[in-house]
Amino acid sequence: MYEFLKYEVRDAMTADPIAIGPNARLREVEEIFENHDFNGVPVVDDQRRLLGILTKFDLLKAFGLGVHALAPHYDAIMEQPAAAVMTHDPVSVEPRLPLSRLLQKLVEMRTKSLPVVENGRLVGIIARQDVLKALRRATIQHEIPLHQDSPS
Amino acid sequence: MTTLLYTHPACLEHDTSFGHPECPARLTAILNALRTAPFAALEWRDAPQATVEQLTRIHPRAYIERIFARVPRQGNFALDGDTILSPQSGEAALRAAGAVCAAVDAIVQGEASNAFCAIRPPGHHAEPNQAMGFCLFSNAAIGAAHARVAHGLARVAIIDFDVHHGNGTQAAVERDPGYLYISTHQAYIYPGTGRRGERGIGNIVNIPLLAGSGSADLRHVWRQEIEPALREFKPQLILISAGFDAHHMDPLAELNFNEEDYAWLTRRISAVAADFCAGQVVSILEGGYNLSALAASVAAHVKALMEAPARGHTP
Ligand SMILES: [Zn+2]
Repeated sequence: MYEFLKYEVRDAMTADPIAIGPNARLREVEEIFENHDFNGVPVVDDQRRLLGILTKFDLLKAFGLGVHALAPHYDAIMEQPAAAVMTHDPVSVEPRLPLSRLLQKLVEMRTKSLPVVENGRLVGIIARQDVLKALRRATIQHEIPLHQDSPS
Repeated sequence: MTTLLYTHPACLEHDTSFGHPECPARLTAILNALRTAPFAALEWRDAPQATVEQLTRIHPRAYIERIFARVPRQGNFALDGDTILSPQSGEAALRAAGAVCAAVDAIVQGEASNAFCAIRPPGHHAEPNQAMGFCLFSNAAIGAAHARVAHGLARVAIIDFDVHHGNGTQAAVERDPGYLYISTHQAYIYPGTGRRGERGIGNIVNIPLLAGSGSADLRHVWRQEIEPALREFKPQLILISAGFDAHHMDPLAELNFNEEDYAWLTRRISAVAADFCAGQVVSILEGGYNLSALAASVAAHVKALMEAPARGHTP
């Protein structure tokens, strides 16, 4: 009944997720969203250190009405680099964080996914759907946690 | 009395590139609406080209030469991301400013009580030394200066109900007490100016409205701010920067005015004009980017001009 409490972020996250560099064009980011069911994509340097996260919300905001142009320059905005519109210094979690705590964070922040960082490097991403899947595993199938070294 | 309509085919030839919201089809939609039966009494007149003398009352000669030097022989030239020139843009811009000056001449000389200038490019974002926001020459300011200098009027009011702040008009008139500039506009969108604190020498009234504001808000600010400022100024002529992009269907902003609001506002402005200046109003097209909403709004505006009284209560 309480199996879920034994789960950690690493048991539910997507490991080695697709990430982009800070100079990726928004056109490429849009293509990633088109082809994958992501809500946000991590932005990393060449050492896979996390620089930011670029969500669909960030992308939408980039095309909004602003003070700098009467009509948004849609084509020019598509050519902007990820670094120009990403959310800097995003909240991230560690792989060993209890999944119950991660769930709490997602609810409090109303966010859809969070990057998972270990020793400064991006190692995964965890989304609402991943947590729901883990809940299903814990409550319906009563499976044991996937990681090997946690106390049971 | 008669309402004049100033326009010119050259204004349809100003080509801002494929898909641009400030397109010739805007003017076509407006003119088609004004060719229908309810507008049969309109007196159509060809807009002349503005003279250098008229333009240089607002724009330095070097600025005017710079604009013309950038008019391309073919294709388009972008002055900035918004503001695009084509081969006919120079003539269109001269006809747009010229329409306003000719309308001022006709109205001040008593040929008609009011006029609408169906022209493009629009003008209220063009600063004395900076084209921007689809605008090349500051049409309303040029017309106001023409009324002051050529006709000796002491007090000319400009009411700007385009959804964007008329930074260009404001820049042109903010140091001269012979002008009153009143603008309603959506806050926090292009061009970012028009805050309440921008008051010129006390002759600028900026009324930013929050996204979502509509009919009731317009009536409120008219009663609280616009009408009192206008009456205190005692205008001898009222110009309107008539942009219709505060309409609830417009794609470039988030205010919620409708056709009846434009008719109502036009009647209110005309009533003040009747009280102070024999109903003399010159209205100038600015923005408005949903073609059907634009045509319907202009129709409501022009109908109200045609029905405006020339004489009010307090002569
Ligand atoms: Zn506008």
